[in-house]
Amino acid sequence: MSRSSRSSRAAIGFLAPFGVLFALFFVAPIGYAVYQSLFTVERSGPLGLGGAHTVFAGLSNYSRALADAQFTASLGRVLLFGVVQVPVMIIGATLLALLLESASARGIRFFRTAFFLPYGVPGVVASILWGFLYVPGISPIVSLAHGAGWQVDFLSSGTVLWSIANIATWQFTGYNMLVLIAQLKSVPGDLYEAATIDGANAWQVVWHIKLPMLRPALVLTTVFTIIGTLQLFSEPLVLKPLTGNINGSYTPNLNAYTEAFQNNNYNLAAAEAVLLALVACVLSFGFLKIVGRREKP
Amino acid sequence: MNAGAVSRRTLLAGSAAAAAGLGVAGCSSSDSGGSAPKAKERKPGQKITLTFWAWVPGIDKAVDLWNSQNPDVQVKLEKVSPSGGAQYAKMHAALKAGNPPDVAQVEFQVIPDFLLDNGLVDLAKYGIAKDKDKFVDWQWQQGVFGSSVYAVPQASGPMGLFYRKDLFDKWGIAVPTTWDEYAAAAKKVRKADPKAYISTFPPANGGWFTGLAWQAGAKWFDTHGDTWTIDIDNAETRKVAEYWEGLIKQGLVSTEPDQQDSWFADVQHGRIVAWPSAQWGDAILSGNAEPTKGKWRAAPIPVWDKAKPISANWGGSTTALLRGGNYITDALKFAVWLNTDPKSIDLLIAGGYGWPAAKGAFAGSALDKPSPFFGGQKYNTVFAASDKLIDKSWKWIPTIQATYKHLGDEFTKAINDKTSFATAIANVQKATVADMKAKGLKVA
Repeated sequence: MSRSSRSSRAAIGFLAPFGVLFALFFVAPIGYAVYQSLFTVERSGPLGLGGAHTVFAGLSNYSRALADAQFTASLGRVLLFGVVQVPVMIIGATLLALLLESASARGIRFFRTAFFLPYGVPGVVASILWGFLYVPGISPIVSLAHGAGWQVDFLSSGTVLWSIANIATWQFTGYNMLVLIAQLKSVPGDLYEAATIDGANAWQVVWHIKLPMLRPALVLTTVFTIIGTLQLFSEPLVLKPLTGNINGSYTPNLNAYTEAFQNNNYNLAAAEAVLLALVACVLSFGFLKIVGRREKP
Repeated sequence: MNAGAVSRRTLLAGSAAAAAGLGVAGCSSSDSGGSAPKAKERKPGQKITLTFWAWVPGIDKAVDLWNSQNPDVQVKLEKVSPSGGAQYAKMHAALKAGNPPDVAQVEFQVIPDFLLDNGLVDLAKYGIAKDKDKFVDWQWQQGVFGSSVYAVPQASGPMGLFYRKDLFDKWGIAVPTTWDEYAAAAKKVRKADPKAYISTFPPANGGWFTGLAWQAGAKWFDTHGDTWTIDIDNAETRKVAEYWEGLIKQGLVSTEPDQQDSWFADVQHGRIVAWPSAQWGDAILSGNAEPTKGKWRAAPIPVWDKAKPISANWGGSTTALLRGGNYITDALKFAVWLNTDPKSIDLLIAGGYGWPAAKGAFAGSALDKPSPFFGGQKYNTVFAASDKLIDKSWKWIPTIQATYKHLGDEFTKAINDKTSFATAIANVQKATVADMKAKGLKVA
């Protein structure tokens, strides 16, 4: 037996566990969703009660999804959400990371844990907690504001999207901060030494060393946040009963869920899920391409 | 948002997670029609276990009673969550996978949805006809389609008006008997306490509004030959919609969702002082507004025409046999026993299952007693009368869940944008017709 064939066999052995799981839990379901999205149910007999069979429908589920004003509106809604929430959270996470990594920081361990803690709260629980803080009649925030003569309504049609953004920001800023801190920690100390010898002040160190060194981590967290934004699901689902301003098609994911599990339109839901995945791909790789281009002057 | 660790693992994984989740759940069989699979039947002396999916609180005690009396036919109860229609998603998935429970709780309004998937056993073929007279006629009719019978009725939700007698007395408000009087009472409540409303118009509660349209004489759904007819946008529905629109525009009712935290807080603190609701609302009030014990009473639901009083219904359940389940003869026996045996009914009443579908079950039952929460009133006599005044011909369509959502969407939009409820109703009509056509059904 030659050495190369033995090592390639070892490589296959090491790759197999990942490969099998990846194929089973990612490739196969995606393939199945695409397959499902190409079919539709046809009914026969009086009143359609004579039975049903599945027929090939081409791309008609896709055209139906795109013609559905509620679905396209939900896409627009998460895009608007992302345009505001992604920068807010990334800037917030960067600020927190820089503060905790600055030379004059105190109580670093406590604050790092405190900022990260919300990430440990499951999304559904976080939404329930915030729900209590939003609902009039129960929320101490709302009653304090009303006492001060300020008529706030966190669940009105104009504000509810930003109330959701607040939950997401609260939950994930600390997580992103931790990713950025890890990156800062890997910055070689001699860079700082060199900067100090050259007479750079703290601001200049941030601007010329820390931020450029953070770049890969910033790209990573931004892409994750864009994807997470498009997949917005559990927060609106939990807050939905509290207000009529969130409905079953508030976000693309919620819309697909409603079509599949309330309206029994599995094929349409599959098409919507595939469309959402495509949008996520385009946005993520589009973003990576833009930042990649800037890298090469 | 940020679906968590899974979506963060890799870029590809992240962008595909949405598709993946649905792909797994979306496993459909290519043949949900055709002939029913051969169901197993029990051989004499054989011991079997039936699976039963339901969510009525306390139904476990009725099942225990059956199990103690029927050692050979044991029933295994599995509680399913009724939150947001999750129980039906589970049942449809089980039907598609070919391993449904033998017996399941199915509400009136979703029976046609199950029939579309050929999901229910036609009980007429198993001799249910002999049990017809044991049940209130209109509830029985909810499971009848042509010559087939698809469900054993369990309970309904005849409507009445729960109100705070102490506050009505204090403010000198007479209990309204018509909807006009209700509007006048709403005005008096606002005047007596600027923080209080008589009740709320819950924009997203499609079932509640449907009950009130049903009361006004609307007939939304029907069938003619092999065609469905949809008539939501009619004079009766518009009358009901415009009535509530008027109350909202004058600021006489609030528009918060009902049976939610803020609503419970308002009910506890006397900021919501009445609730046009179904009989099963009694358990919701007593369970969530304990400090107001003794201050509530029930009265008949306000009517449109005093000379011709017609009542309303909101909600209702049946016990059905899912297609693909086994031991149909024994399962049917259990379903009929569960809903007609006086001891079983008493246990179900204790759990708050609604208004019994069995004829004559009220007199002498646990419902037929004075209640401390309602200040010693034998309040269920109100609902016994209400149940007799419900229009019997109401029918449902297979896409009712979507229609409820359209009602919620359109009412919410109309309230936010201050547009008319009549337009909202017209939009619900259009959207419902589109839903039905998208399902491949003929709609006139």
